[in-house]
Amino acid sequence: MNNSFIIAGREYADNARTKGFWINLLMFPIILVAAIKVPQLLEEKAIPTRDYILIDQSEELGDVVQLAVDRQYAAKVAESLSKYYMANAKGGVTKGIDLEKMPSGGLDGMMGDFLEQDPGALDSLMQPGAIDSAVAMMQLGLNDDAPEFVAPRRPFSKVDVPTSIISAAELGTMDSGEIVSRLRPYLLGDKYLTTDENKLFAVIIIPQGAAAQVKRGGAAGLIQQLDEKDGVQFWAKNLADMSLSRAISSALNEHLRTNEYQRLGVDEEIVSQVKSTQMLFTSFDPSKDEGEEKVSMADTIRQFAPLGFVYMMWIAIFTVVNMLLNNTIEEKSNRIIEVLLSSATPWEIMSGKLIGIAGVGMTMMVGWVASMIGVLMYMAGPQVEWASTLLEVISNSGLLPLFGLYYMCGYLIYSGLFLAIGSLCSTIKESQNFMGTATVILMVPLMTMVFVARDPNGTLAQVLTWIPLYTPFVMMNRAAADPPAFDMWGSAILMLVTIVTMLWVSSRIFRIGILRTGQPPKLVELFKSLTRSLKNQ
Amino acid sequence: MDTFKSNNSMKADSVFVPTTALKLNNLVKRYGDFTAVSDLSLEVPKGSIYGFLGPNGAGKTTTIRMILDIVKPSSGDITILGASSAMDVRNRIGYLPEEKGLYKKMKAWAVIAYFARLKGMPSSEAKPRALELLERYGLGDFANAKVETLSKGMGQKVQVLASIAHRPDFVILDEPFSGLDPSNQQVMEQVISDLNKEGATIIFSTHVMSHAERICDRILLIASAKKVFDGTVQEAKDLLPPRVRVAGDFSAAQLIELPSVNDCNIDDDGMLNIDISSGCTPQQLMSECFDAQLTLESFEYRQPDLHDVFLHLVGEEAKVATLR
Repeated sequence: MNNSFIIAGREYADNARTKGFWINLLMFPIILVAAIKVPQLLEEKAIPTRDYILIDQSEELGDVVQLAVDRQYAAKVAESLSKYYMANAKGGVTKGIDLEKMPSGGLDGMMGDFLEQDPGALDSLMQPGAIDSAVAMMQLGLNDDAPEFVAPRRPFSKVDVPTSIISAAELGTMDSGEIVSRLRPYLLGDKYLTTDENKLFAVIIIPQGAAAQVKRGGAAGLIQQLDEKDGVQFWAKNLADMSLSRAISSALNEHLRTNEYQRLGVDEEIVSQVKSTQMLFTSFDPSKDEGEEKVSMADTIRQFAPLGFVYMMWIAIFTVVNMLLNNTIEEKSNRIIEVLLSSATPWEIMSGKLIGIAGVGMTMMVGWVASMIGVLMYMAGPQVEWASTLLEVISNSGLLPLFGLYYMCGYLIYSGLFLAIGSLCSTIKESQNFMGTATVILMVPLMTMVFVARDPNGTLAQVLTWIPLYTPFVMMNRAAADPPAFDMWGSAILMLVTIVTMLWVSSRIFRIGILRTGQPPKLVELFKSLTRSLKNQ
Repeated sequence: MDTFKSNNSMKADSVFVPTTALKLNNLVKRYGDFTAVSDLSLEVPKGSIYGFLGPNGAGKTTTIRMILDIVKPSSGDITILGASSAMDVRNRIGYLPEEKGLYKKMKAWAVIAYFARLKGMPSSEAKPRALELLERYGLGDFANAKVETLSKGMGQKVQVLASIAHRPDFVILDEPFSGLDPSNQQVMEQVISDLNKEGATIIFSTHVMSHAERICDRILLIASAKKVFDGTVQEAKDLLPPRVRVAGDFSAAQLIELPSVNDCNIDDDGMLNIDISSGCTPQQLMSECFDAQLTLESFEYRQPDLHDVFLHLVGEEAKVATLR
């Protein structure tokens, strides 16, 4: 057995010392940081403030549009103010958040609901000096070393039409087609309105009679004949960024409806109240203790965490069994195996490899988790504390030991398979033939992962549970959904039996295959030599 | 086999210490219908250097693998260092396989130390031992080089050192000279003779007869899975009469009439190659030439070398094989 550990040690060092391994380890936190940081950076830095021109010939709707743009900015300011507070508050803010109590929708959902019900709630932030006074109010609760609050940039900024293009006198009456044709080179980016070469993002034209161009609901709407040219026109080359057009159109609709209420003599106040009435709707989980059945954020995390585990397990297993395959083939093609065989039994060699590579896999996972925690600590900010709370929930959920267990089982099953393949092939190229099939087999848990998570005790999940090759992945996936004890223990026993059989057969194939040269054997041949070696026992 | 080991340490029984390091008894290996080794029996005395000679495909490597218990014989049995399986005494055996290969990413010393550790050497001893060996055989500067950066010959030397680092009592080298340049072949010969001086029994297989002739005490010649010859180098040479080449003002027909000439033919240089009748000596031949008044311009006499014996014993098959 001592030899197994010497072999394991070499195997571990050989694989853990490769560049690929470290790149793999380092890529994880880098991708993690990138996933958090890049969208932020893009939002803050990469997208410039976008200029738009608003031509209001109706003398009525222009203010509505302007208000919509301002409110959009106000919401952004409010968001960054709250982030700023969370990041710098004394003692931290999110530490106090209890995921077990938080509704499953999360904070963002709450904020969105709030603004939808009362679009004017943040209007006070648009007053001059309002941001400064808000920061001043926060100051007491902030850490002493908190950085100064920097208000976010306006995403959209209004510019006037230069009189050289359209004179002020013409502006109020000019046909929208003519306006667009004069501004088209600017919209297309061929010419610039300002010296800083900021492209013109959009032109919004509100023709004189636009307010009357109203699509009616009900039967009346069906026979309406409206010309798009008479309504509000939004001209922009960029079709992807719809935030401005959406904000404007919803603000205009809001305005229009308010007018309609007035026309019909309905009290606006009452309408607004009616609009914010809601039915009380709560999700409950029957499996939880009485009085605590409410589905919380923590429950949602626990429900979906296995998915992350399955994915991590899949990547880790696939990576390390490939190492195993490559190493075995290397030793075979180098004929090192012969020297090994004169120094150790096939079983020692095989178990040494299994232990060594398992260690590599463990290092990889520990590295991932450690780097994740490291990244989270380094980036200490609101999302980060959020994430560490998440980690806490996961580590308290009892999923971690299961993960370790299922990972080991999955590893043993697949490593047995890949060791056998490796021992039968003299070159990587030869192994590709087997690998095609092996990859298809390995793809199944990945492809069914989401479906199993969605219906953890459904037919698909149950069927896959009883296929030992998939048991580790599927049972990990189902772990949070309290699978029936029969499924859990039954599949575990089946899996263990499979592992033992797999390793035993692999060690047979390993013995036979390891000294083979040339083409891998045909299946019939393999079977024959297996049964022969059985008889020789 | 365990009794042997314990007997060794007991003074009273020391007279019974086996003088045979390896004994093969009617060894047979069949792969399906193909017989790789047929009925091979052999005794390798302790402390000897034994050469396994034979054309490609004769069964040398299979025999070696059976000795090492890497492949199981179809029938027959093996006693090595008193054990019935090499696995039981594997820490006392060193093995260099025919096809050479090492872990490319490992450092030279680490490879040697690794295999020494697998053979039971404590890791604290393995590294100094590896460095000492590398130094002794001229690779001291490459101790920290990765194997993949070494030349083929250097890599092979490292592998040889890896197979003997644990100070084995029994060393099996399969084609140790192939792929080495003449100076490294000399180093290899040095390694073998050093090992032998330290008391190790050595088996090596080779195609190159001159090496076998220089180093071996005894040789085993296998062809087509069968033992053709087994004995000392001198015994092998004695199988063939001495070779005489002559030139002069006479024809082959005249020579054949002489009593001590068995056969005679002309070689490419126009010299006459004489096959002396058994029991006769070159001196006899020479005096017969004088008696017959044949004018000799040159008279060369040499002992047959192993190459001649090899060709003689293995015949056509070997010629084909050596061309391969």
